[in-house]
Amino acid sequence: MTIEGIMESVALDITSSTKTLFETMIMLDLQTDNAFFEDDTQIKTDVIGMVSFTGKYHGVIALFCSKKFALKVASTMLMTDLTEFNNDVKDAVGEVSNMIAGNVKTKLTAQYGEMHLSIPIVIAGEGLSITAVNNHPVVADTTLSCFSKDPWLMTPFNSNGEKFDVGLLLKESSK
Amino acid sequence: MPKVLIIDDSAVMRKIIQRNIQQSGLLVDEFVEAGDGREGLEKATTNNIDLILCDWNMPNMTGIDFVKALRGSGQKSNIPIVMVTTEGGESKIEEAKNSGANGYLTKPFTPDQLKSKLGNFLLVK
Repeated sequence: MTIEGIMESVALDITSSTKTLFETMIMLDLQTDNAFFEDDTQIKTDVIGMVSFTGKYHGVIALFCSKKFALKVASTMLMTDLTEFNNDVKDAVGEVSNMIAGNVKTKLTAQYGEMHLSIPIVIAGEGLSITAVNNHPVVADTTLSCFSKDPWLMTPFNSNGEKFDVGLLLKESSK
Repeated sequence: MPKVLIIDDSAVMRKIIQRNIQQSGLLVDEFVEAGDGREGLEKATTNNIDLILCDWNMPNMTGIDFVKALRGSGQKSNIPIVMVTTEGGESKIEEAKNSGANGYLTKPFTPDQLKSKLGNFLLVK
């Protein structure tokens, strides 16, 4: 299977994992759409929650959302009305990313052997973009190396009118 | 009444677990929290803990290393441990059990799933 084919298969796992998460612990309505490849320069977001994985394949699974949606998710998870983008909100975004990536990793492990997950990293700002440094060498097993010029496979979701995406970067590890 | 130690690097997850237990009717007297395995080991051996819930992927000391360290310590080494983690799959469950974990729950979980798993170790009102 080509790497694009594997990514499309993983995107289905991302959809299923995200749906399960929203049904069990977030309890917000969720609609999904078909995944699409997007150039990194087109991504604009306020919040990124990402988890990297290594193994036969390595890459990143990242949640891209607005601050408003991050507040809504954190408020729901904590059953309180959060209005300030504080550490609890960042922590919640990290856990959401972690739970999506963890479930995807379990499925990948069943197919491709043991993989390892990183601890989640959350970046927050206003209108963040992702740009790789030109000619940056690709190192097999670090998170930042995954911010290459390769396109992300983005799975779009909509929860009560708030859009967010879960992106995937995937590469075969060198032997 | 039992004292439960929750080890997870996410403060949000510790709060969610605590709230779910409180709302489930499971009898717990006190919760003790730790942000990683190392802190968990210190709290497990210096408090009268009756049950430990432990994440897997954490900084400083992972959950599986915590389980091995506690079981090998000789101190309080028989406290029941339930892993609560995003790490799924048979091999991980087997590894946890072989290391001394008594139960395993994969995140995300529903309140009922948590109650069912912890009902083996805690009384219900």
